Amino acid sequence: MALMPNGPALDGPGHKLKLHWRSSRHARRLLTLGVAGVFIATLARRPEYAGVAAPALLLLAAGRVQRRPLRVTVRVRPSSGRAFEGESVAVDLLVEGHGDAYVRWTLHPGLVIDPVGGTTADGAQARFIISPERWGRRPIGTVDVVLRDRWRLAEGHATVTLPRLDCYPAPADQRTTVVLRRLPNRLGEHPARTSGEGIEFFGVREYVPGDRQRSINWPASTRRGRLQVNTFAAERSQDVVLLADATSDVGAPGSSALDLALRGVAAAARAYLDARDRVGVITYQWGGASWLVPGLGRRQVYRIIDSMLTSPVLANTVLANTVLANTGGYARGTSFRRLPRAALPPGALVVVFSPLIDQRFVEALRDMRERGFTMLVVDVLNAEPPDRRRSADRMARRIWRMEQEAIRFSLRELGVPVVHWDGVQSLDLPLAGHTRRPLAARR
Amino acid sequence: MTGRAGFLTRAWRAGAARGTASLVGAALIGAGCLAWAAEPAAHRGWAGFALFLAIAGVAAGVLRLALAAVPVPEESYLVSMPLRAWLRFGEILRQVPWEEGALVAILWLEVLHRARPWHTAVLGAGLIAYLLTTHLAESDASVGALRPQARVLAIGAGLLALGAGAGMLPALTPGAGSALLRLLAAGALIVAAGLVLPHAAPRGVGAGSSGYTKGDAEPGASLERGGLRRGEPGGKIGQAGR
Repeated sequence: MALMPNGPALDGPGHKLKLHWRSSRHARRLLTLGVAGVFIATLARRPEYAGVAAPALLLLAAGRVQRRPLRVTVRVRPSSGRAFEGESVAVDLLVEGHGDAYVRWTLHPGLVIDPVGGTTADGAQARFIISPERWGRRPIGTVDVVLRDRWRLAEGHATVTLPRLDCYPAPADQRTTVVLRRLPNRLGEHPARTSGEGIEFFGVREYVPGDRQRSINWPASTRRGRLQVNTFAAERSQDVVLLADATSDVGAPGSSALDLALRGVAAAARAYLDARDRVGVITYQWGGASWLVPGLGRRQVYRIIDSMLTSPVLANTVLANTVLANTGGYARGTSFRRLPRAALPPGALVVVFSPLIDQRFVEALRDMRERGFTMLVVDVLNAEPPDRRRSADRMARRIWRMEQEAIRFSLRELGVPVVHWDGVQSLDLPLAGHTRRPLAARR
Repeated sequence: MTGRAGFLTRAWRAGAARGTASLVGAALIGAGCLAWAAEPAAHRGWAGFALFLAIAGVAAGVLRLALAAVPVPEESYLVSMPLRAWLRFGEILRQVPWEEGALVAILWLEVLHRARPWHTAVLGAGLIAYLLTTHLAESDASVGALRPQARVLAIGAGLLALGAGAGMLPALTPGAGSALLRLLAAGALIVAAGLVLPHAAPRGVGAGSSGYTKGDAEPGASLERGGLRRGEPGGKIGQAGR
């Protein structure tokens, strides 16, 4: 009998499970010894074999008078419904109504769920530690509950289905951010190229009535003979749209292009939101794209990851998330022209994580570039066609490489920087050439 | 208790050595019963086949216990041939009742000898010990788990001794009648014991009578091994359970 618990608390309402009792292996072995002893004693007329059979038959007879529970109540509580890849989650289990029976739990973890420590436990309460290996909505698995009576002659079996676990892609390491040259007129933390009320020195100008005395630059005033005041750069924020290409997933599971794209998006979202930028996400797949409008705050990181995991293009599920119902959506078509203005604000910085394999996606990038968006492409392709001996295979491999180089060259010619990321090193390294100075959009 | 002794005690209680001890115990007792029944070697009544069956049963039973903790992959369709053969071997090892076969073969080896009641009684005690040790090894329980059965096992030992004594009694008169009489007497003893058994068995098992050591049922035992603390998992993301 399976159980799908919906209450996280162990003290909440439990779920009754019907136990299926059957004789244990121990009982069958005792029965074999008893029957064989009596059989030999009868045939060979040797009473000592009846004595051999006596202890086994006594144990079996004693076990028959035991009362066994027909139903038990099992409570399940995972320590968290969400976890990052590789993070540990504890699952607590409690059985009630088992009487004086011994309880044994055996965990059968689901796909890409790695049990930390043992998979068996004894006692009325048990705790299993699991660790999801790969992102996605994963069923944790099932737990077999085996009750043994105190004579250990019968076993009651039941199965508990553990709840699902939302596994988030483990964010890569990124601390620096790419900043646009022209920033929208919105308060933020990036020094803009206009004077304002920031803290970064911008220039010196002549004093006008109303300026604060503390901003007077006395050395400059002494040199010029008139009062000079310091001016400071304005501080602005930017809109950042992270674009995850889910059209193709190549490479080994766990380090495939899609894995790297999602981890890169998570890292970039965290880095830009730490810099008080508004960050949104678009997940692109053949035939459509799901999107989440740019937003602020720490929770936006989780909204972004949730939107990717619940995206129809990745999860093949309907958009049930209330967050997405208000601020996100799904648009059909292979062009980003169909996306609403809120999802792709004009003047936003677009950071693309893609293996650049799908030609339609590359065409969509070109179209976006021609519409004036400032873009940066992070190439997450780390796989190649297999290296084989046949000349035709070698030729195909060379042609494939040339195509890839041509795609990247064409994007660079359009003014779209393309950097390669292997998924191992920090994202700061490939982005270093663009984080030290503002990124300018060439028209 | 300090230092190494304390560590060994904790390790023993945690069950690290218990499984191995039960496994080794089952192997030794099984081999001992086999040797006890087979000595001296008989050359009639399919003795060779019974000996082979007993050796195979004891060895495969121990191997099954030793490999019980080896995980079985869920997906066995796309595995290599050697791995598939290994999985098949493990499946056969788990499904065949090796111990039952070994029991029958060992008893058959004993039957092939002339009547020696005290020898058979020792073998019976050894076989019961073999079955109990095998059960402890496969359920990963301690010897204390058999505590509720101690009284019944004592009665069984008494009956075993009575059976051996009945076998050693000289017949009043030679012939089939006296042997049948002894057999009926032993059977009556078993029936009598079965009738009084519900009164002899302990009624309830208190919390302290469980055979499991404290470490077995500790929900936090695995947690401590993993270095995890309550509330830590998922803490980066949010509260427990949405």
